[in-house]
Amino acid sequence: MNKKTIGLAALALVAGTAVQAADLPSNILYDANSEKKTLWPQPVVNSGVLKYNEHRQDLSRWPTLSYEDKRPTRKAETVELKGDLNGDAKRGKEIAMNTQRGNCWACHVLPGDPQGGTGGPTLVGFKHRGYPDSYVYQTIWDRRAINPGAIMPPYGTNGVLPEQDIRDLVAFLQSLD
Amino acid sequence: MRKPIILASLALAAIAGGAAAAEKPYRDMIPYIDYSNPAASGDAKHTNTYQYWKDRDKLDPARVTSGQLNWTTNWKFMDAPYNDTLHGGYVAQDRGEELFKRLNATGAFAACLGARNNDLKGLRLQYPQFREDMNRVVGMEAMIEQCAEKQGMKLENGSYDNSAVSIYIGAFSNGMPIKIDVSKGPLKESFEHGKELFHTRVGWTNFACATCHVNLVGKSLRGQTPTTHFGDASHWPTYRTKDELQSLHVRFTECNRNAGTQPLKIGSQEYTDIEVFLTALTNGYPVSLPSARD
Ligand code: HEC
Ligand code: HEC
Repeated sequence: MNKKTIGLAALALVAGTAVQAADLPSNILYDANSEKKTLWPQPVVNSGVLKYNEHRQDLSRWPTLSYEDKRPTRKAETVELKGDLNGDAKRGKEIAMNTQRGNCWACHVLPGDPQGGTGGPTLVGFKHRGYPDSYVYQTIWDRRAINPGAIMPPYGTNGVLPEQDIRDLVAFLQSLD
Repeated sequence: MRKPIILASLALAAIAGGAAAAEKPYRDMIPYIDYSNPAASGDAKHTNTYQYWKDRDKLDPARVTSGQLNWTTNWKFMDAPYNDTLHGGYVAQDRGEELFKRLNATGAFAACLGARNNDLKGLRLQYPQFREDMNRVVGMEAMIEQCAEKQGMKLENGSYDNSAVSIYIGAFSNGMPIKIDVSKGPLKESFEHGKELFHTRVGWTNFACATCHVNLVGKSLRGQTPTTHFGDASHWPTYRTKDELQSLHVRFTECNRNAGTQPLKIGSQEYTDIEVFLTALTNGYPVSLPSARD
């Protein structure tokens, strides 16, 4: 195991002058001194070195595939929807139909989107399904609490969307005719 | 006096082993599918699309041009002989030849990669391999980097020039089926680790590679449709019609980012283990280089 680590170190490629935060795995593409921190490698024609660009988002906050990464998957959270829903359907739509935010349309068909994904059930006509707000809220927060093997991202548990965003999404879905 | 020392070292080993196991964090997993006989044909028990892409020269044009069914051909229509247009992969191959000739002036470069008498035929099939001297499993591009360095040339793993040399060398094995043995030793260990990584859920999405390539295979993710992961490892590095030349590990960083997961360094042990896993799932399928992908 020790030997293996040494071999790895010899092969390891340092991305330019990338700086690592102390508690993160050493073999991720990351530069603590850059704005977004997460880097991606770009081959450049007729060049023997890679160009490292910043990804649009710092992805190092969540578990990686590195063997050094000791962060566990966060377990499913069961949540209660407190008080009035108080959601803004218009804001919810902007979150759902935006690849850089909720990105719900990657897996779901939503009204007015001819390209909607087929990974999950269509959400067209959702309001007629008669689900209580609390159930929809839990589904977006963490579907695993309802179906342990669910593949839908746990937006609440993983700290991807704040509570108000999820309330807005519920209001949006409950408005879909 | 001897006995206690041995005992003590055994006890230490036991503690170390226990600690390593305890250190492994809990991770959600996507359940395994049948990998008992790793080969491209194993896809018959997964998406059952192998029948459509098994023979590249017999691809069904109706399937290839169908928006609904295109994914079932596993992009093989982008490879020769179905598609033999002079795409950027060929330009890279020429560049690779030029670099190779410079690197191999004395024959030391080819020998370092494991070629006998400068014979490059079949060399691609020997990778990934376990290197005694490095005590680890390496892919072809990692070795190209190492061996070029000995010749005083920097060919960073994943760079255009590294991939160009890989394509040049790999093309000597065109038509020869991939056949790595993952039934024993370090390659088996690497395969098992790669399999586990492929099914491990990570990132903000809590996705594994298998979330898309197993659970969502054939589903549309807004214009992108994940295909089977069987038969995916015999055409790398590949020319991306949007992106220039891409090595397999660089592709992994792209899939990681698309799935909201922090990518790892090119040549990392983790990516190499996934490479071994995917290469074994390509056993029996012929090398095709240069290749192109959308
Ligand atoms: C990776 C694909 C994926 C993404 C992205 C995704 N979902 Fe889902 N969703 C699913 C799947 C699959 C189901 C099926 C239920 C299950 O797995 O338990 C589902 C179920 C649902 C349901 C329940 C539908 C019903 O009729 O029971 C709702 C509501 C929902 N998703 C909303 C959302 C919202 C809102 C977003 C964006 C914030 C989103 N989903 C993003 C895959 C996804
Ligand atoms: C969000 C879904 C998603 C995830 C997660 C994902 N991929 Fe992909 N992957 C795709 C799509 C879509 C493509 C393009 C279509 C295809 O070739 O399957 C692709 C393509 C690939 C290819 C190229 C296949 C070819 O013939 O050119 C490889 C190899 C690959 N993925 C490996 C992986 C690995 C390894 C992981 C995990 C580190 C992973 N993918 C995770 C969606 C995903």
